[in-house]
Amino acid sequence: MTTSWLRDPSWVAATLTTWLPFISFLLIMVFTRDHRRLSGGIAVGAVTSSLAGAVFLLVRHSGDARPIHYAVRWLGAGDLYIPFGFLLDPVSLVMLSLVAAISFLVQVYSLGYMAGDPGFSRYYAFQSLFAWAMMTLSISSAMLQLYVFWELVGLSSYLLIGFWYEKFSATQAGKKAFVMTRLGDVSFFIGLLLVLLHLGNLEILEMNSPEVTAQIPSGHLTLAALLIFGGIVGKSAQFPLMTWLPDAMEGPTPVSALLHSATMVAAGVYLFVRLFPFLSHSADAMTVFLAIGTVSMLLASTMAIVSRDIKRVWAYSTISQLGFMIMGLAAGSLFSGAFHLITHAGFKALLFLCSGVWVHLYETNDVYEISGSGARRLKIPMVCLVIAAAALSGLPPLSGFFSKEAILTGLADLSNPLWLTAGLLGVFLTSYYAFRVVFILLSPRREDKKEPSHQGVGVHYWGMGGPLIILAGWTVVLGFLETPLRVFLSAGTAAHPEAAHAWLPYFSVALAASGVGMAWFEFGRRAAAQVGFVERIGPLRELFAQRWYLDHLYRGFVAVVIDRVLSRTCARNEEKVINDGIDGFCGITLRSGRLFSLLQSGKLRYNLAVMFGAFSLVALYFLLR
Amino acid sequence: MIVPLGHVYFLAGAVFTMGLVCLVARRNLIMTLVAVEVMMNGAAIAFVAAALRWQLMGGQAFVLFILAVAAAEVSVGLALVVNLYRQTGSLDPDRYDILKE
Repeated sequence: MTTSWLRDPSWVAATLTTWLPFISFLLIMVFTRDHRRLSGGIAVGAVTSSLAGAVFLLVRHSGDARPIHYAVRWLGAGDLYIPFGFLLDPVSLVMLSLVAAISFLVQVYSLGYMAGDPGFSRYYAFQSLFAWAMMTLSISSAMLQLYVFWELVGLSSYLLIGFWYEKFSATQAGKKAFVMTRLGDVSFFIGLLLVLLHLGNLEILEMNSPEVTAQIPSGHLTLAALLIFGGIVGKSAQFPLMTWLPDAMEGPTPVSALLHSATMVAAGVYLFVRLFPFLSHSADAMTVFLAIGTVSMLLASTMAIVSRDIKRVWAYSTISQLGFMIMGLAAGSLFSGAFHLITHAGFKALLFLCSGVWVHLYETNDVYEISGSGARRLKIPMVCLVIAAAALSGLPPLSGFFSKEAILTGLADLSNPLWLTAGLLGVFLTSYYAFRVVFILLSPRREDKKEPSHQGVGVHYWGMGGPLIILAGWTVVLGFLETPLRVFLSAGTAAHPEAAHAWLPYFSVALAASGVGMAWFEFGRRAAAQVGFVERIGPLRELFAQRWYLDHLYRGFVAVVIDRVLSRTCARNEEKVINDGIDGFCGITLRSGRLFSLLQSGKLRYNLAVMFGAFSLVALYFLLR
Repeated sequence: MIVPLGHVYFLAGAVFTMGLVCLVARRNLIMTLVAVEVMMNGAAIAFVAAALRWQLMGGQAFVLFILAVAAAEVSVGLALVVNLYRQTGSLDPDRYDILKE
């Protein structure tokens, strides 16, 4: 068995691609903690080979009609069994390549960004851990394996958010991220158990097959779909578990670019894509998903409009775009969600990496301060930022335009026009907040201008600039690959592109352009006050800045329900019921003992009297028998 | 028999009980020893009655054993009482309650 597997290049490639980063993690953590250049080299080398392996697999299996499936039976009990293995179909291969490529670019970028940091080796170890977990998650063949790596991805996120652990806010943010995503994971796991109960195993191929409706009653199917979506809500920071993502910006900017924009939070949407046939059996669940996606998209867009922290703007944008992807998927179009996932990974990572150059140089996250320090003098980040913001807003001919069109077309196919209206409103808000940042950076206010402490990025310029250029080029080109990608992703199934809504592209581009125009009017003009229309309305600005008081709600919930009710009840139970009960029992024992000790007079006469009395009773008994 | 067996048993029980009451009620160790003697004599009366009833000499022989044992026991007991009196200066058994808490 093993020898035949070793001769199969796909299996070897898949194993090496996913496990080399893990070996790199072990090597760095155990051996090369003190040798930073060696650690960096090992990590980047591992991820480069992973990228090569992923591209090899992508090219090799690009024309396959059926997915390639390797599985090994790990645990079994009666009817149930748990398999572990690889599933190589178009969706998983594209995701694998995406993760490998962005991990590679971010790790190269980090060579410049994290240079001089005392935790350099530890950073690369955690990056390798993340790469291993995310890549194996992408090509997992069974849901339990996916869940294990889902949790591992959450772990690496925690480790990387709290990377600068001396800073209290960073450790708090890491803890918050982990606990919130864990809440989602609990419901995810219960949903998986429900499916396991009916199907006997959790193979993805089996879950996606049409026969599953016969094996699971429809009520349970809807419930399982909703519970599994709970995991997606947690991981992809949708409403109501969305407030951990802005706080996760405490981590280094490359981490934000990799984990919290392109790959880890996209794992939730990827799960949706993976289980799309399974989840789409239940129309009620899909409507709920649509609603949650819409709410997240709109809420996060409003939060982005008033934020002064450049990384937070992109974090809110990520939440919003993920909601947009979920809207597309829940509207029934698998391709639109997957395509937007791919394009979004590109331009969002680009946005973060460009912002990272300025954050690294000027040591501040505030947009106004960055612009005042002369951000626009650095050409490469500025140009790439504009390209990425334009892609985010959905302006042609960039990649974002094509993917947003696909989603809006899917929304337009729904019977209720509410969803399309929400989507179009989202388009306007997105272009507004994206170009707000661009114009603030391009035209610094007089009061913010100051001399920066050091000029230019220096020796790391090409290390950090190279990935920016590559990602920008990718953003420009990817849109034109829509049709080949559509054919690739629906390999084996009939593809039916909808062409009915001809007015939609023009209308959405007009909306995006009007968003840009409004941002220019308020921020970009020579005499602009650089205060947004929302920022002028005090209560509204407060509402958006306080994240719609969601954090206050959570804090209140923890303080009242969990602390005052639950923990106080449990503490009181321990005090009064358990401790006092045992003490009472001991007291009774003591007191009854003291009572009985009164019989012990120590006097001979009484002992003798009692002895003879007992003896005569026994004699009486035998007499009367 | 001159009198019914039950009457003799009743006499033996009465003597035994009087010895028992004296044992428990008196607060003098010498009286305890006297009471023990009386109880043993009560038992001896019962043995004699049984020997007469079943015409076996074993009962009367056992009475002789009882008398001998009583004598030996009283001598040992008196020695102990004298020792106790010398140790504590009192013959009251209620005073020897150091085993009580």
